[in-house]
Amino acid sequence: MASKKIWKKILFYLGIALICFFMATPVYILFRISFSIPEEVLTQHPKFLITNFTFKHWDQVLKSGNLWPPLRKSLLVATFTMLSSLVIAVPACYAISRLNKRLKYIIVLSLFFTRMFPNVGIALPISVVFLKWNLLDTHLGLVLAHLIEQLPFICWILVSTFETIPFDLEEAAMIDGAGRLQTLASVILPVAAPGIAVSAMLTWLNSWNEFTYALYLSLSTRTLPLQIYYYVSRGGFFQQAAYSTILAVPVLILTLVLQRFIRGEYLKGAVKG
Amino acid sequence: MKRFLKKYYLEFAFILPLTLYILGFTILPISKTIWMSFQDPTTGRWGLSVYRELFRRPDFVRSIFHTVVVTLIELTIQMTLGLLIAMALKQDFKGKGLARSLVLLPMGVPTLVAGVALIYIFGTQGYLNELLFQLGFIKTPVYWTSGGIKSLFTIAFADSWKVMPMVVLLFLAGLESIPSEIYEAGSIDGATKLQSFRHITLPLLKPTVTMVILLRAVDVFRIFELPLILVGRATPFLATFAYDEYRAYNNLHASAAASTVLLICIILFMYLYFRYVDKGGAFGNGK
Repeated sequence: MASKKIWKKILFYLGIALICFFMATPVYILFRISFSIPEEVLTQHPKFLITNFTFKHWDQVLKSGNLWPPLRKSLLVATFTMLSSLVIAVPACYAISRLNKRLKYIIVLSLFFTRMFPNVGIALPISVVFLKWNLLDTHLGLVLAHLIEQLPFICWILVSTFETIPFDLEEAAMIDGAGRLQTLASVILPVAAPGIAVSAMLTWLNSWNEFTYALYLSLSTRTLPLQIYYYVSRGGFFQQAAYSTILAVPVLILTLVLQRFIRGEYLKGAVKG
Repeated sequence: MKRFLKKYYLEFAFILPLTLYILGFTILPISKTIWMSFQDPTTGRWGLSVYRELFRRPDFVRSIFHTVVVTLIELTIQMTLGLLIAMALKQDFKGKGLARSLVLLPMGVPTLVAGVALIYIFGTQGYLNELLFQLGFIKTPVYWTSGGIKSLFTIAFADSWKVMPMVVLLFLAGLESIPSEIYEAGSIDGATKLQSFRHITLPLLKPTVTMVILLRAVDVFRIFELPLILVGRATPFLATFAYDEYRAYNNLHASAAASTVLLICIILFMYLYFRYVDKGGAFGNGK
């Protein structure tokens, strides 16, 4: 009996180890390639462990001058997408969260359905129109396009954030003579601040990673994801690893920071109404 | 009416920008795409000529087939593995924190980067071939991304790796919402672990399952970056097909028609799911 239990435990740990191995390996390989010398990985039998490493590819990437323009564009677009989505979504979500349950449910559900539309179907007419408006290759154009995806997303999180704030809190402030806007600014927003911060960071990340709209709306300038795609389609074996690492680092750091806050409930609570 | 407006003017002012944005930048473009797909590119007449043209092309029909098959493979992988991992992570064991962080790791990897990392693994000179070679399963390298059913599985595995954290988190939340008293009651009544899984966990997890299936299915149908990077034109999917029609051939109407077909696939899937699998499912129960 006891030995059976031990076997079960060993099997369990083996399973866990296997899962962890599968989840971590691709990331490890990516870092590994960006540091490795060509003879080790560009062969029939690539080596798994790092025996020899070089900063050559990193040096090339940093000195080539191809890094800064896309990096700048990605940073600017992500930041402005985050700010404008907050400006549009925070008041709207507050208002939605105070509606009656049925109406709220309908709105949240229709937000979900806008996410159902294929991106390529939205990006096509958008890129045709932006060509007319001279918005291709501009930061503004890309921010406008990223908002399409990010607004429903941020609203999901924000509605469920505002919902958790009891109505009594507002009433108390109003009885004390605060106006509605004043109540919102000095009572509601501070309480909702953590949720707003999390949603803002997630929006920033989504925009930083976004690829489809950037691909449709860029002709000569590139964002970081486009730069990676450029090297993939050209077969820049080491550049793609280095650029991928650059793209992934802020994401990894932010997700580690946010890990405690990202929960399934965010996605779930919103839909369950 | 006037009193109504006066009372709710703030709410209206708050919701208006969001509504206008979604109308102008989501609903309008989608309608335009659908509209365009029913218009003949040369004569400008209404009709199904674009669709007739498309369905005559074998690569388009293949792209529909690929999209549907990959969705089914992925849902199977993600449902079983996701639930398994979530249940493992719900146990208490040494090193749980580390295991949890590692499982959530892909969430910190952009989809595109995941694609690049998986090129190194599934490439002809990649690590998977090397591993299989070292273990003695194969003598010559396998061309994982050259097309056919192998490529579909490659894409399905790649995407499943990337989204596993989200699936696991959703399942964990679902598992945690099941009160432990029910399990205790079950074990007092003499239920084995398998029985309590079959008769307690699964039925109570049904809303979560529906939720995950719908979220994932919608995303997988629209799969774009990974196929573009990993398999390219060898294995077209509906989204990559639509992109190629636009960028490579400047065929706006064909691209619009492909997107419309994709939208129809998604709606059809949801309809069939609610009609036959989950009658009155999670959206109804959740209230």
